[in-house]
Amino acid sequence: MADLFSNLALGFGVALTPINLLLCLIGALVGTLVGVLPGIGTIATVAMLLPITFGLPPVGALIMLAGIYYGAQYGGSTTSILVNIPGEAASVVTALDGHAMAKQGRAGAALGMAAIGSFIAGTVSVILLTLLSPMLTTVALRFGPPENFAVILLGFIASVFMIQGSAAKGFMVMALGVLVACVGMDPVVGKERFTFGNVDLTNGFDLVPVVIGLFGVSEILLNIERPEVRAAIGDRIKGLLPSLDDWRRSLMPILRGTFLGFGLGILPGGSPVSASFASYAVERRRAADPSRFGKGAIEGVAGPESANNSAVAGGMIPLLSLGLPSNAVTALLLGALVIHDITPGPLLAAQRPDVFWGVIASMYIGNVMLLVLNLPLIGLWVQLLRVPYRILFPIILLLSIVGAWGTNKNVFDIWVMVGFGAIGYVLRKLDYELAPFIFAMVLAPQLEQALRQSLVMSKSNPMIFLERPISAALIALAALLVVALFCGYRPRARYAESSL
Amino acid sequence: MSDTPSHVAVKFKMPKWVRGPQDFVGGIALMAIAAFALWASSDLQGMHGFSFGAGTVPRMFSVLLLGLGAAVTAMGLLTDGEHITVYAWRGPLFVSLAIISFAVTIRPLGLVISAFASFIISALGTPETKWKETIIVGICLTIGCSLLFPYALGLPLQLFPRFLVQ
Repeated sequence: MADLFSNLALGFGVALTPINLLLCLIGALVGTLVGVLPGIGTIATVAMLLPITFGLPPVGALIMLAGIYYGAQYGGSTTSILVNIPGEAASVVTALDGHAMAKQGRAGAALGMAAIGSFIAGTVSVILLTLLSPMLTTVALRFGPPENFAVILLGFIASVFMIQGSAAKGFMVMALGVLVACVGMDPVVGKERFTFGNVDLTNGFDLVPVVIGLFGVSEILLNIERPEVRAAIGDRIKGLLPSLDDWRRSLMPILRGTFLGFGLGILPGGSPVSASFASYAVERRRAADPSRFGKGAIEGVAGPESANNSAVAGGMIPLLSLGLPSNAVTALLLGALVIHDITPGPLLAAQRPDVFWGVIASMYIGNVMLLVLNLPLIGLWVQLLRVPYRILFPIILLLSIVGAWGTNKNVFDIWVMVGFGAIGYVLRKLDYELAPFIFAMVLAPQLEQALRQSLVMSKSNPMIFLERPISAALIALAALLVVALFCGYRPRARYAESSL
Repeated sequence: MSDTPSHVAVKFKMPKWVRGPQDFVGGIALMAIAAFALWASSDLQGMHGFSFGAGTVPRMFSVLLLGLGAAVTAMGLLTDGEHITVYAWRGPLFVSLAIISFAVTIRPLGLVISAFASFIISALGTPETKWKETIIVGICLTIGCSLLFPYALGLPLQLFPRFLVQ
């Protein structure tokens, strides 16, 4: 325990330096902005801002990017409640009861409870993160290549398990991600693959232009081809503080949402989106009078908003302690760490305690900042919603282009961005969900390396994966998921993937 | 949001025997990519028993993609499915042009001109654009970018055309 406090003290020492405080604030604000505005997703934003963080020290970079991630969960609720347009996929369910409350003139209470629930969930889950990460790190230190292979394989399959559409299409997108990652040098013997003698392709595709194209550009294309829906924004919001009755109803949903979201966040494939849907389903099932749901039940706001926040902290656990992202955004954070020459994994806490604990500490601070800033700023965020998309999208596009190019100042990256923008647009039109792509692209080199190293260890005997208990269990779990997928056992919820 | 297109759009007509055009087209497209990847990786060393060569992983996933692509294509033939959604030409055309114009002009002309030009071109992507506000925002954003990237973020960029600087 003493160890824990000294580690946390170290972390706060890092996170409280003026520059890191500022980065945390910027991250949280940008995140909220992204959460508020429909048409810019977290994935594209994190990708766009990755190049900007290259000039920063790694801790600062990660603090800012993590801030965007949890900030977006706060921001998403605002537009869901006020105008019934979720700015973020994780807030889609919030719109159901949140907007109904707004129509009854109780927007203030809904917004207030969403922010308070988010804060409680954010804080409790960061405490859980603080306690659990070191434990998992200890386990993970015993991982060899076969275990790494098994855990990444499980992640691959889980990333498909968690999407909403067809599983076959999910696996196809995943395979495409692996193939794109194969371009360039083979990670084991350094042989060139798919390069066709092109110098630019020798180092493979950069993550940033690919992700900006696939998510950012395709998002713009999908949005501008339909007429803009003007947000009808009501009167001024009053009474942000929920009543005593609201508190009584919301307390348990907040706590349940916190633990549920945290658990789902840790699982491979879990994301704030699935957490918020699961929490909503649980609250409706537990309610004494389920018919209230959809008509302005505050439980339907408090639970999911808490769940999506704690899923963020849950998702940081496998990232920081195993080096294994659980969803597309944490996969990008992993990419950011790798660009900064930091290999996340069980050794991170020992080798770079400043990064490990600094990021965790910054999440405590960021949650406080968001609570303090967000409630007074709601009016400002609503004003931003009045900016029409016809102005917004050229701005987003230009920032994306400069971002993609500025990384290496290589014009080739811009071509990559256009190409993947087109691919993303067509695939999304054909109803393919793209989240498994990033996951596969980031982790394919590690998967291949672990697989080939294991087979070298065992002198080409594939039984090595089944002889070691941990890897056998993980592979069995992965196999189970595949069977479940094709038999149709899946948590299904309808939501617009377009706002992811 | 509704799915009805706002502007002139390209419509695809599918023959009658294709019952799920969306699955059919997507499946074929991805099978083509998989076949291309199989061909492109054919010169790489493959498996020897269970020891992997450089070509093994690309080929494994190409085959997976090919197989699933075939399955999805078959689904498109055998079961009724979604129709192809309508593709707008205007947005994709001008957004791509905006990106490409940046790629082509950034080296000779510098950030200021390239950024402003691609902002204006991308604004052509929707008929909703109002030119006065677009030009004002474009100028502000270009100034913002020229200050943000080189000064605030320390990324040294060439701001003005080469022939003016030299």
